[in-house]
Amino acid sequence: MSNELTDAIVGMREDEALALVKAMLDGGTDPTAVLEAAKEAVTLLGKRFEQEEVFIPELIMGGEIMKAISEEVKPHIEGGGDGAKRGTIVIGTVHGDIHDIGKDVVVLMLDVNGYEVHDLGIDVPQEKFVEAIKEHKPEVVGLSGLLTLAFDSMKDTVAAISAAGLRDQVKIMVGGAPADAQVQEYTGADGWGNDVGQALKMADQWIGGEA
Amino acid sequence: MTATGEELYKQREQRFDDIVALKKPDRVPVVPVDIHYFATKVKGISNRDAGYDHKRHFDAIRDATLEFGWDGAPYNGVTATDGWEALGSTQYRWPGGDLPDDAAFQFVEGEYMKAEEYDEFLANPNHFTLTKIYPRIAGNLAGLGQVPLLPLYWIADTTRLMSVGGALLAAPPVRQAIESLLAMSDAMAGFLAADAAYAKEMADLGYPRLFGLAVTPPFDLISDYLRSLRGSTLDMYRHPDQLLAAVDLTTQQGIGLATMAMQMTRNPRVFVPMHRGAGGFMSDEQFEKFYWPSFKALIMAIIEAGGMPCPLFEGDYTPRLKYLAELPAGKVAAHFDKVDRVKFKEILGDRMCFWGNVPASILCTGSTQKVKDDVKELIDLFGDTGALMLDSGLGVPDEAKPENMMALREAADEYGVF
Repeated sequence: MSNELTDAIVGMREDEALALVKAMLDGGTDPTAVLEAAKEAVTLLGKRFEQEEVFIPELIMGGEIMKAISEEVKPHIEGGGDGAKRGTIVIGTVHGDIHDIGKDVVVLMLDVNGYEVHDLGIDVPQEKFVEAIKEHKPEVVGLSGLLTLAFDSMKDTVAAISAAGLRDQVKIMVGGAPADAQVQEYTGADGWGNDVGQALKMADQWIGGEA
Repeated sequence: MTATGEELYKQREQRFDDIVALKKPDRVPVVPVDIHYFATKVKGISNRDAGYDHKRHFDAIRDATLEFGWDGAPYNGVTATDGWEALGSTQYRWPGGDLPDDAAFQFVEGEYMKAEEYDEFLANPNHFTLTKIYPRIAGNLAGLGQVPLLPLYWIADTTRLMSVGGALLAAPPVRQAIESLLAMSDAMAGFLAADAAYAKEMADLGYPRLFGLAVTPPFDLISDYLRSLRGSTLDMYRHPDQLLAAVDLTTQQGIGLATMAMQMTRNPRVFVPMHRGAGGFMSDEQFEKFYWPSFKALIMAIIEAGGMPCPLFEGDYTPRLKYLAELPAGKVAAHFDKVDRVKFKEILGDRMCFWGNVPASILCTGSTQKVKDDVKELIDLFGDTGALMLDSGLGVPDEAKPENMMALREAADEYGVF
């Protein structure tokens, strides 16, 4: 039934997916296997997103189904069931900007793809990024923004990370609708993206490894 | 002899109309679709002050228009902060409120209407908006949600109006809501007077006002203001029929609003800012089902009423260009944010003018040479027909370098005189 579950999620058939999860748990399937099948579906959606075969709605809906399944399954798993992580990412919307829709989709996809994600939220001052890097020791830092004022906030944040002597320890991606190569160059980041596919690709390239 | 303001006004109107109608103009104009804080920043006025001191803001926009050589009076996207304050708006955050003085005002998207409330909204959208949405987006209007507002025809008799209405209006939360609406109106009176004076002054100087009013496309109206991106996205799967019914309802009302706006403002140009139809936000199949039919109906209705729709295609519309070919040629002033300009030229070059698309990133952080190179690329591409108007992707970026905005004009003069 694992394949059926994966298919149902990828096909956006929410009710069917949840019914399958119930049936699997009632039938004695290992709850971790149920969760794995669901994660595989969302990972597949992420890959299809990169190929432009599915779009943001599938990622949001896939995330919702995943959330519902986790709630169903988690009580059956001792210790929460979170396996080994592929790497750590600190992410946030930079100072002065309060937009979070794009960042939240990126956080969701990084999470289901096996990364430990620390989301610092919106309007995040540069010092908070520096503190979070010291605390969580991430391989990757994501700076998000929608407004043009975010360009300077991103640049200042990268500078603050350098000033704290942490620049060599992290790869930095800048993202959001107005991000492009020009913004990457201006801010001194290592990469840029304006959709979740590009964020995932960079994380995979920079961190690599399997969950 | 130097042209008078009136002559310049006519020239600019004619040039704009010619470009939209695909008639080759004398030169490429620079037409910012809207402006927020650029002009006040240039003058050293804080974003906070720009939201209160409307005369200084409009004066700054006038000066920027003259200094940077724009070919129209841009739409001021910064409204009266004291209006939001009077309402106790929770749907916006602004500089001088809980944002720093140099931040930009920002919209707080939320599920102001819950998925399970569609039927209530569809049954009586005005009543629902008044009693449910207003209290959720404005703290001082909470009272509107606390009283059972009746359908007005139940009290279409002055005696009953007095007995029922008199009692309703006596409730302190309702009085507070009404007083807050009046205070908002007082705040807006100052803004609107400054706006009207700006329009008149700019017209006298020879600069047409770009738009009368903005009309949000039906799907965006539901997604932006009522259900949020997440909500409307989930609705496509969980509540598709109700979502479509809401889109249908708002389409009819949007068409009514657009025609009313053209009559009220005596300006045929209707601004149609778009958000959720962009590439990535939905598949072609979803676009065809949920977005395109209502958007097309709105655009066609504006054209049929003798108006000129000015859609701002925010985001990347490259995957949707094939649909735009369904719109009548030479009737739409299409403004683009991030579209692939070469593909646009291939697919729509003989049907639609091209406006915008100079990246904000270059204007804010690039060199003047990069700006000029980008403008040259655009003029090389569209110079054969001249169906081109220059602007950034989303109007004048707040953080654009002044020398880059100057380079935009200089490049237009250098490469774009036919």
